[in-house]
Amino acid sequence: MTAGRRRVGGLVLSFVFALSACATDGAVALRHDDSHHDDSRHNGPPREDEARAPLPFALDAYPSTYKPLPRVDTLITHATVLDGAGNRLDDADLLLRDGKVVALGQKLSAPPGATVIDARGRWVTPGVVDIHSHLGDFAAPYVQPDWSHSDVNEVTDPNTAEVWAQHSIEVQDPQFSRALAGGVTTLQILPGSSNLFGGRTVVLKNVPATTVQAMKFPGAAQGLKMACGENPKYTYGDKGRFPSSRMGEIAGDRDAWLKAQHYEHEWLDYEQGHGHEPPQRDLKLDTLAGVLHGDIKVHIHCYRADDMATMIDMSHEFGFQITAFHHAVEAYKIPELLVQNHICAVVWSDWWGYKMEALDAIRENAAFVDAAGGCVTMHSDSAVIGQRLTVEAGKAAAAGRRAGLTLPPEHIIQWVTLNPARAMGLNDRIGSLAPGKNADVVIWSGDPFSIYTHADEVFIDGALIYDRKDPRHRPLDDFDLGQPAQEPRS
Amino acid sequence: MSARALLAALAMSVIGAAAHAETLVVTNARLWTAAQAQPVDNATIVIKDGKVFTVGIGIKAPAHARVIDAKGRLVTPGLMNAGTQLGLVEVSSVGDTTDQAVTSGPLGAAFDVEYALNPNSMLLPRARADGLTRAATYPSGSANAPFAGAAAVLRLSEGPDILDRAKAAMVVVTGGVAAAQHDGSRSAQWILLRNALSEAKRYAQVAKGGPRDQLLNHLDAEALLPVVGGHEPLAVFASRESDIREAVKVGDDFGVRVIVFGGQEAWRCAGLLARKHVAVVLDPLDDQPATFDQMGARLDNAAILDRAGVTIAFSVPGIQLSHNAGTGMREAAGIAVANGLPWAQAMKAMTVNPAHIWNIEDHYGALAPGLDADLVIWDGDPLEPGSAPTTVLVRGQPVSLTTRQDLLRERYAPGHRADAWPPAYRQ
Repeated sequence: MTAGRRRVGGLVLSFVFALSACATDGAVALRHDDSHHDDSRHNGPPREDEARAPLPFALDAYPSTYKPLPRVDTLITHATVLDGAGNRLDDADLLLRDGKVVALGQKLSAPPGATVIDARGRWVTPGVVDIHSHLGDFAAPYVQPDWSHSDVNEVTDPNTAEVWAQHSIEVQDPQFSRALAGGVTTLQILPGSSNLFGGRTVVLKNVPATTVQAMKFPGAAQGLKMACGENPKYTYGDKGRFPSSRMGEIAGDRDAWLKAQHYEHEWLDYEQGHGHEPPQRDLKLDTLAGVLHGDIKVHIHCYRADDMATMIDMSHEFGFQITAFHHAVEAYKIPELLVQNHICAVVWSDWWGYKMEALDAIRENAAFVDAAGGCVTMHSDSAVIGQRLTVEAGKAAAAGRRAGLTLPPEHIIQWVTLNPARAMGLNDRIGSLAPGKNADVVIWSGDPFSIYTHADEVFIDGALIYDRKDPRHRPLDDFDLGQPAQEPRS
Repeated sequence: MSARALLAALAMSVIGAAAHAETLVVTNARLWTAAQAQPVDNATIVIKDGKVFTVGIGIKAPAHARVIDAKGRLVTPGLMNAGTQLGLVEVSSVGDTTDQAVTSGPLGAAFDVEYALNPNSMLLPRARADGLTRAATYPSGSANAPFAGAAAVLRLSEGPDILDRAKAAMVVVTGGVAAAQHDGSRSAQWILLRNALSEAKRYAQVAKGGPRDQLLNHLDAEALLPVVGGHEPLAVFASRESDIREAVKVGDDFGVRVIVFGGQEAWRCAGLLARKHVAVVLDPLDDQPATFDQMGARLDNAAILDRAGVTIAFSVPGIQLSHNAGTGMREAAGIAVANGLPWAQAMKAMTVNPAHIWNIEDHYGALAPGLDADLVIWDGDPLEPGSAPTTVLVRGQPVSLTTRQDLLRERYAPGHRADAWPPAYRQ
């Protein structure tokens, strides 16, 4: 450590800060999924030097400071419950205590002091999870200087694996509260798709806050946003730069992974006691080595089946797991390949035709991947769709039913709850109403897949964070203060 | 029920004249004609030579008529999207497949989309399959701001003849975003618009063309003649309240019929718009302060305007504008209803209202005798975007509901995975 301190100067301060954050609240994203990784590499010779710098790949010097809002134990009664795990319970009760789901069943009794909400005729689901959002890093209003310099893409290099979406977030983005009105309790915010390696994602709780750290989901793994296909090649090809073709994109990716492999090995060698000084840190390679080491999940913007298959081969070549293909409009052409490789298809219900690689999008995409046993997740990528992801799921399911598939409400709710939660590695905490999970809950005015239905009440960690009928329980971001849209409803 | 009695009476008055050949009858319909608050059951629609001949309850199908049994399903007029770029756009990001704008050359107000319409577009079967039978298609920009050029109305029939009405409105784009794109002020937009209308009026009074001190070339001036003559409305894209009010003033000062497009803050001057009979084509999904021109955007815009008596219709920008012009609009209409607009008013905003706004109500809009028989049989509530038509008629002709996407679906449906191979190799 002393050697490290001399060698890397100021950077070591962040090591120390990260370590202390890790020790105090466990809020640092460390490795979450080692399933594909050869752990034998970590079992090197015993360390003689306790002060060795830790592996830097997933250190978080900007950790969560999230604190739940004050909460009241709540019993929701007589609801139609879709539990997020594939079950439907009619006339059911749901008990929330100390911010957790405690029980789901019939004729539950309210503990002393609990609030009882009669949800007769209404539906209850887990909080909606939007796995692909740009709220905060593409904040409204979209003002003129941001047309060319928005905070969603760092468009200066095809590899910006070093940037973090977290550092672009405008917490007062008025779009957050509108998503909350659609029942969205958790969002993954991604960098844009201009680059091969767009940077790291961040998972947020949809709570009002004055810092991004206060929205950050404690302990959630970061993702790496990658992009294949049209966007990177047009972004850089138009500037006369590399890459200007799909084959250039793949070469650019492979070149970066080779460097990352070398960097990872340097650090693992050092960790195992070889050498006296830690390798020179490189923020780009930290992210990529974090992927190879299993600390960071891979989310790839990819439309076409052939592009996705190429990226899957690349993941085999370099030994990393792809978590999800986002947009994935041709996932229906290769569902078995996605299933075999444990990759989720993160999709819209009906977008098509706005670019060449979206030409073959069909409305049955989600349903066909689901029918093959694949993981399907709806996503927004849009502040408008992000207000009604359940309607997105309903539209996608309607197309599937018309094609002869059986897709009941209790099944398709998973497309916006448990499936995205699992893809983000958070299914032990959110995504279903299993006892012990976070009490992220939506009470809907009716069938959540109907266009006419509203989210009546939304809970995050057991706290009532949104009440459609009570302005005192509705977050109002600073930007919306005093604006005409907030005048009393007619 | 008065609507039922009305329909029955209507039927009795004309049934005796029911036709022989070229006759199509839709029976057992749960019918919404555009004239009632609620659909009525057991209705029959008789169609002759592409027109609605009669509608009513208890009508017997004329002999030799082709009968379509609606099986109790909802039957409505074919829907109209009041703002698309259908026929002009194929793949949005590919310039050589798009014709909705011109950015250089002499064409300002004189730009007119009618010569670019593509009846074989992949988007048209999609729109028909989603319940559209008419659509306005508008230009998004010209080489002489604030004009975008002349819009057209399409009928979504099969075959080459899809132009319903050319030069249906002159499109003008105002507001801060458009001004910034020209490094200017929105005030300049209004000065230029007013000047252009003034010059067009003068131009009409000059016997011969020739050199003169005016900003408009003769093409643009001539294109504005029907506008200042009161025959072609001015469709003004305006989001901010101040721009909407300015558009109303221009209409007053020049005797021009104005339609407001966008209109995110229109609810703030709903009374004025109602008094001046200015219609608003809006996106009911638009509730974000996406720009400083729409700080007042909210989900009950449609409901407030309707309650004040403003004629409204729908257009949904973005990817749904043309590629999902049917479902995108129906979903948006459903959201308007979820936020206070009555169901029948939302349906009118997709039928008779756009027909009125785009000046085709003499032949389209309601299922009423004498009007084109544009008709949809639905498998559910049209305002639920998961619903779909089972039958669509355009001018009395059943149209195919098969899209290119359907062919892809059939090829890749579960159990058909080898279907990318030639047919001889399939199982």
